[in-house]
Amino acid sequence: MWKTVVRRFLVMIPQIIILSMIVFALAHFMPGDALTGKLDPNIDPAQLEALRDAAGWNDPLHEQYFRWVGNVFQGDFGRSYAQQVPVTTLIGSRAANSIRLGLVSTFFTYIIALPFGLFAGRYNNTWFDRVVMVYNYVSFAIPTFVLALIMVFIFGYRLGWFPTRGSVNVSLATGSAAYYWDMFYRLLLPGFVGGVLGTASTTQTLRNEVIDAKTQDYVRTARSKGVPEGKIYTKHIFRNAFLPIASSIGFIFSRLLNGSVFIERIFAFNGMGDLFITSIGGRDSAVIITLVLLYGVIAIFGSLVSDIVLSIADPRIRID
Amino acid sequence: MSFLELDDLKVHFPIRGGIFNTIQDYVYAVDGVDMVIEQGKTYGLVGESGSGKTTIGKGIIGLEHVTDGKVIFEGQDVTNKARNRAEEYRGYNKDIQMIFQDSTSALNPKKRILDIIAEPMRNYFDYTDKEEQAEVVRLLEIVGLNKDAIYRYPHEFSGGQRQRLGVARAVATNPKLIIADEPTSALDLSVQAQVLNFMKRIQKEYNLSYLFISHDLSVVKHMADDIAIMHRGRFVERGSKEKIFNNPQHIYTKRLLSAIPQIDPLNREQHKLERQAVEKEYEEQEIHYYDENGRVYDLQPFEKDHMVALNPNDKTPGSLADSTIEGGN
Amino acid sequence: MEDKIKSQEVLSETASEQQAESTPPMGFKVIVREFKKDKMAMFALGVLTILLVTTLAWYLRLDADTVMDVNILHHFKEPADFNFGLIADAWNGEKSMILGTDDYGRDIFTQLFLATGNSVLIAIAVTTIIATVGIALGLIAGYYGGMVDNAIMRITDFVMTLPTTMIIIVFLVLVPKQNIWSFIFIMSVFSWTGYARIVRSKALSESRLDYISASKTIGTPTWKIIILEMLPNLTSLITVQLILSYAGNIGLETGLTFLGYGLPDQTASLGRLVSAATTPYNLEFRPWVWLPASTVILVLMLSINYVGQALKRSTDAKQRLG
Repeated sequence: MWKTVVRRFLVMIPQIIILSMIVFALAHFMPGDALTGKLDPNIDPAQLEALRDAAGWNDPLHEQYFRWVGNVFQGDFGRSYAQQVPVTTLIGSRAANSIRLGLVSTFFTYIIALPFGLFAGRYNNTWFDRVVMVYNYVSFAIPTFVLALIMVFIFGYRLGWFPTRGSVNVSLATGSAAYYWDMFYRLLLPGFVGGVLGTASTTQTLRNEVIDAKTQDYVRTARSKGVPEGKIYTKHIFRNAFLPIASSIGFIFSRLLNGSVFIERIFAFNGMGDLFITSIGGRDSAVIITLVLLYGVIAIFGSLVSDIVLSIADPRIRID
Repeated sequence: MSFLELDDLKVHFPIRGGIFNTIQDYVYAVDGVDMVIEQGKTYGLVGESGSGKTTIGKGIIGLEHVTDGKVIFEGQDVTNKARNRAEEYRGYNKDIQMIFQDSTSALNPKKRILDIIAEPMRNYFDYTDKEEQAEVVRLLEIVGLNKDAIYRYPHEFSGGQRQRLGVARAVATNPKLIIADEPTSALDLSVQAQVLNFMKRIQKEYNLSYLFISHDLSVVKHMADDIAIMHRGRFVERGSKEKIFNNPQHIYTKRLLSAIPQIDPLNREQHKLERQAVEKEYEEQEIHYYDENGRVYDLQPFEKDHMVALNPNDKTPGSLADSTIEGGN
Repeated sequence: MEDKIKSQEVLSETASEQQAESTPPMGFKVIVREFKKDKMAMFALGVLTILLVTTLAWYLRLDADTVMDVNILHHFKEPADFNFGLIADAWNGEKSMILGTDDYGRDIFTQLFLATGNSVLIAIAVTTIIATVGIALGLIAGYYGGMVDNAIMRITDFVMTLPTTMIIIVFLVLVPKQNIWSFIFIMSVFSWTGYARIVRSKALSESRLDYISASKTIGTPTWKIIILEMLPNLTSLITVQLILSYAGNIGLETGLTFLGYGLPDQTASLGRLVSAATTPYNLEFRPWVWLPASTVILVLMLSINYVGQALKRSTDAKQRLG
């Protein structure tokens, strides 16, 4: 076990280093920098150049990279030029929102996918199974932004059940019960959209696992011993079907963060995905670097967690 | 006359492990094997599964990388040159062919029989389409299949028919040696005999040699002129069929021969006692036939057409002869 | 017993002689049968065909420059009352405003066909590129195995964990003069991994089969073994993947354009039409701008995916309907 974990950790280190190089190079080669758009066009070019020099933007690339890495290790990710605050502060203020959204989405994913997958598998080739299959096709095929728009249009504007923009009503007193309720209420619609998008693969996997398990010898044995049908499912089949689902939790969470770019944009939700698009527009390279790096690291850790969970849960898969 | 020699052939597989997936140890699948193959003869290669017999065959034809030692074809060193496209190795590549154990997976399911059997011809000869088709039909007839077969796909044939198709493909380059890796192990008994008889007929027609790899001694007895017994990647005994079956010397050979089922129900008890005696002897004597690492000794000449891997330092050869019990089979 | 086996073999031989024509296992017929059994799949295929044929006809008929001509006076015109004459007018190149106009006063109806055509073509280009790269890498990794496989799969796994949507956006911003080709190229850079993985795992098990060994022993060159022996045995897998990833690429392209980082403004595009909805006022009161394009995307994605899934079922004997 520990060998697997150590090896996976070792693989991770070069991945993160390469990721940081790619991201740094990308940000560096972006046309224009934060000063280009910000400053008065009448400003003296020499003065502009001095500003750039002072910021260290004219140093050789590798020096900038190592300086950046050194700073990162001290927790300093640079400053946002657009908002004139440290990147960590800026992202920190948004991260909580994104994580909340991710958690609510994951919750919706499982609350939909578990019953759908398990019962479609148990009662396969019934009307319920067919409904679930159709739902699966639709939720797999529909692009994030189309679903999000349709939801906002129907539930936000036509029916008016949900607020359509923002993560919280800022006029409410911070910390009050109403404030938290509003925050939660505003998470529901975007969280649902994110959740639906994650259900297709989970439902499909669960359904197939259950159908596979139904014909296995251990299930037949249990049945021939006279174990009640309900117990066969709860004690034998479902437990085994959960294995691949438990392991995919890391992937699901990191994928949700990725999809959040669209969802947060459409719901004008103050999260990291929304911040990313804003920063791209403003060429705010320090923020962009940090966000891509952060998402990359989350994804890498996600796959690490998935692998480890799987190797603990399923002894057959241990890498050795 | 001989055309293929194996000189101290070794095939070792690394075992990887640990955090950095480094080489921890080796599996000595084939560990120093000599062999000479002559035209028109059949060589049986016998041993339990994992003894390295298939690996020898794959080493000769280039499906496994030879770690050490040489494969010499008509005086030319061709070790690990099987996938070499150079003109100088063409003869070696063309003249050694192989038949596989699993006839189902050995034929590409997406190809017609015509394309399957013509594949080697397209690699080595410049036939026109017409010549090619005529040649394929001729080969099919040799293995007893109808010419209509050429436009069919492998799944439309039975196991025995597929194995005959495999034989036809192996013969297509007009080779000198065919390595037959358990060609009948996956077949029903009745079909086995059929395939083996086709192989024998082809041998006569083409003056072919076979390297017949099998764990089935009765099949080897039916096919082979010379037999080599393999254990732990090395030969324990080698000689003519008669010598091996009538005068086995190595304790492993005796044990192997005693394991052939006897269709003699009246004396069932007696056979059982014999087998038990051989097994007991094997357990007692095993230490004398393998060195301290459990490795088989080098082959020593024992009599004409017969070599046995005995302990070269054992000064009392009589003791070996004494322990030989009558009628090992 | 032995006689029985023999007679069976003779029987099977004569039986196969009587058969008129031979088919490879898992041929075209199986797929046709599977589709006939699945009414939804037939329906999806029908919808897709109609959509593509109509789009093609209009795409060839319409002049992109005329359709995309800016006319501020027609800014966000509401759809005209419908009659069939308007369609005929549109076909003849007039701005009939069946579905109204967008922010630049461009006719939505005709724009839709151009946009759908562009999306379809771009997705074909991207799919072709990533399929070629991914299949090649997958085949090589699977055929050689060992260190080669290790190296290729390390890279593939790494690219897969990257936050690709974000990196693609950064790339798109990075290119100073955006055009369709640079857009296609950037979309392709990170999307080949699915093919590499799926092809590799099948190729790996395929390469261990004896027919590959047999081809090696009869002197067939490696490239021929990979392309002529191994690849045909992966076709059903690849076909399914092609269709599913094709739908995925339409989604990616429209999504990126929706965010404003895909196709340039003067190119008709579904994503750009939908992006009008990012303005709350448009979302609430001008659905004619974004709803038709959203519907087209939805219908395209659903029908392509459904066809792909039906095909996937027909290639998997376990899931076949009959």
